[in-house]
Amino acid sequence: MQNKIKNIIISIGFLLIIFIAFIANIIDKDKEISISERRKLAQFPTITVSEILNGNVMDKWEKYVEDQFIVREIFRGIKSLWSTKIFAQKDNNKLFEKDNAIYKMEYPLNENNVQKSAQKINEVYQKYLKNMNVYYSIIPEKNYYLENDDHLKLDYYKLQEIIQQNLQELKYIDIRNGLELQDYYRTDLHWKQENLGEVVKIIQGNMKLDEMNATYEIQNKGEFYGTYYGQLSTNVTPDNISILTNETISNCIVYNYETNKKSSIYTTTNSADKYDIFLSGAVSLISIENPNSKTEKELLLFRDSFGSSLAPLLVENYKKITLIDLRYISSSILENYIDFNEQDVLFLYSSVVLNQNILK
Amino acid sequence: MVFSSITFLFYFLPIVIGIYYIVPNKLKNIVLLLASIFFYFYGEPKYVLIMLLSITCTYIFGILIDKYKKYSKLFLTLSICLITGILVYFKYMNFIIENINLWLSNRIDFIYVVLPIGISFYTFQLISYIIDVYRGQAKVQKNILKLAMYISLFPQLIAGPIVRYTTIEEQLENRKYSFEKFALGVRRFVIGLGKKVLIANVLGELINVFLATKDSSILFYWMYGIANMLQIYFDFSGYSDMAIGLGKMFGFEFLENFNYPYIATSITDFWRRWHISLSSWFRDYIYIPLGGNRVSKIKWIRNIFIVWLLTGLWHGSAWNFIIWGLYFGILLIIEKIFLNKYLEKLPKILSRIYVLIIVMISFIIFSGENMNQIIQNIGGLVGCAKSNFISKESLYYFKSYLVVFIVAIIGATPIFKNIIQNRKNIDKFINILEPIYLLIIFVISTSYIIDGSFNPFLYFRF
Repeated sequence: MQNKIKNIIISIGFLLIIFIAFIANIIDKDKEISISERRKLAQFPTITVSEILNGNVMDKWEKYVEDQFIVREIFRGIKSLWSTKIFAQKDNNKLFEKDNAIYKMEYPLNENNVQKSAQKINEVYQKYLKNMNVYYSIIPEKNYYLENDDHLKLDYYKLQEIIQQNLQELKYIDIRNGLELQDYYRTDLHWKQENLGEVVKIIQGNMKLDEMNATYEIQNKGEFYGTYYGQLSTNVTPDNISILTNETISNCIVYNYETNKKSSIYTTTNSADKYDIFLSGAVSLISIENPNSKTEKELLLFRDSFGSSLAPLLVENYKKITLIDLRYISSSILENYIDFNEQDVLFLYSSVVLNQNILK
Repeated sequence: MVFSSITFLFYFLPIVIGIYYIVPNKLKNIVLLLASIFFYFYGEPKYVLIMLLSITCTYIFGILIDKYKKYSKLFLTLSICLITGILVYFKYMNFIIENINLWLSNRIDFIYVVLPIGISFYTFQLISYIIDVYRGQAKVQKNILKLAMYISLFPQLIAGPIVRYTTIEEQLENRKYSFEKFALGVRRFVIGLGKKVLIANVLGELINVFLATKDSSILFYWMYGIANMLQIYFDFSGYSDMAIGLGKMFGFEFLENFNYPYIATSITDFWRRWHISLSSWFRDYIYIPLGGNRVSKIKWIRNIFIVWLLTGLWHGSAWNFIIWGLYFGILLIIEKIFLNKYLEKLPKILSRIYVLIIVMISFIIFSGENMNQIIQNIGGLVGCAKSNFISKESLYYFKSYLVVFIVAIIGATPIFKNIIQNRKNIDKFINILEPIYLLIIFVISTSYIIDGSFNPFLYFRF
């Protein structure tokens, strides 16, 4: 008898689950973006005969139903919990939590990629920058500062060795002592602008710039759900994002070569990534002009996203800073936009970017 | 469409079950046929016609064999040539061209062709049908829709088991439904889903890490070897469980396809437990017609080689599959000639270790992309990579996957099944726990699928 009841419960229970989920998914309104994952969610695919025949509709449909599944966040949380607590896996797609912060394992070191990244930088140097003051620095990923932890880490020393071997004509600036773990966001890979004082001093010292001793007002721009927050369903406390501002920064004029528009250094955008407040996020070519500058010096900053939050802290030293992101613009066409003469040059890349060989 | 997807679990399945149980009995087969054609079309929009063409040809030849007994052998031969020809064209033509080109100065161009999903499975089902009709073991199916439904039945279409027509003949007309059967179906399906998503896919991630790493510690090679054999088992047997479970939900009874192969005490025993539907197909349609073991020793050895060459080829059109098949052929001959006598005398633990090592090496061959990789991955087990026993990276992944390994190893044995079945006094607890256990597996599996996790379909070569 009990067996019979059990069979009925299992049969009816299973049917109820799949039917209710089916109906709920149909009824539930489609969402456009996921705030926690900071991305757009897949929408109902366009159906055409050719798209059906080549299978594209089916692929897009799969992505759509996964993205729009009801109470998706709860299921993602369940998966994260199961993999870390029950299966005791040390990471979830290379992400892990420790002490109320999220980290991503950047591993292993791809020596070939690092070599190619260094060669790309050297190529730019040989083509445009010989006889100029050229410096470079490598930003360690935050895991570099994580102690007493057995998660796999990038071999920073090997990376540095490869870069230094290939960039012997450039001057290396070691900024590692200017940073510690707390200087990075808990839920994101980036560093916090308000904690970059030591890094700025090190750069100014190495590049023989005056320490301007600028004072800043720290403005809190609210909660910040970093990149990692969205990739790992988590209970880690979100960050707050702050910007440093003063009269000089406020008066600076930013020119975006992609949109041909001017703006200020800090821009509030509709982007899901709040870090884009710094110089509008990922832009291939952007310049900052300081109209109140007491010097005619200019800086060419070859950078990744870390440079967006550092550059405003160098405007006191320069009349103009041009930021070039070689991930989005090919070095071969730079001469169409930049007049290379006597600017200071700084290549500032994170170890993560150098390990991926994505410079063009 | 794959079973472990949101589309299948929460769109296709509820719709099909709903319609199936609402319509009167005489329409149920049509519902299944249409659902199965849609299921195949979803994954293979262009090549669904190839499957329908194969079914139609087999149907016609079946009628001809039944009607014109005098020419039945001719029709049988033509039908097998035609169906096999389609399989050879799509699956083996480029392999044949590649190997012919080794001997030619003017190379032949490769043909642009994509392997239709499930073609190896449904081709074998068609061949078994036509041979059984020829032998008089099965009554010819005069209703093309019923034959089409048997071949295209979505639970077993793209990844087996290879269901014989004789198994299902009666069930095409008469199927019994009950809560007990449906619940058994749900249980098999959910457990199969868990095997695939929670074990096989997770181990697959470790395998991907191994394949991408430059780490060459012995520990990592062993982890790869063990993870590889467990992934293949849990993926394949998980899919078979889901197929059998789905069959039960629609009133069908399919035969078992796996019987805890990793507790086998010899390779002979292993192949009675692994992919049973395939090995029995080769036994009944190749080995026995060739004479089986009722011929001279030379011919018997020849028969075994032919069967295992074809078994290897069935799994994929590449040399590593042929080597894999022949590897087992040689071992089976050795066992049958003299080794089995000794294995029977050994303590079971030792004979099981022997089987596990042999099978682990076989699956390294099976999974290899090229011969260099295979040699490296086998050699690495015994330190041929000239590296340490352990490394930071291998230790990290060992710790990270230890629980999964333990769950998988225990799950590959009948330990829990024996505990539950032999204790009558825990029936009451089982009746309460089982629905909860199934619910947990289903919810967790769904959460893994939703998180867009790694979800490979290993049967793309078949």
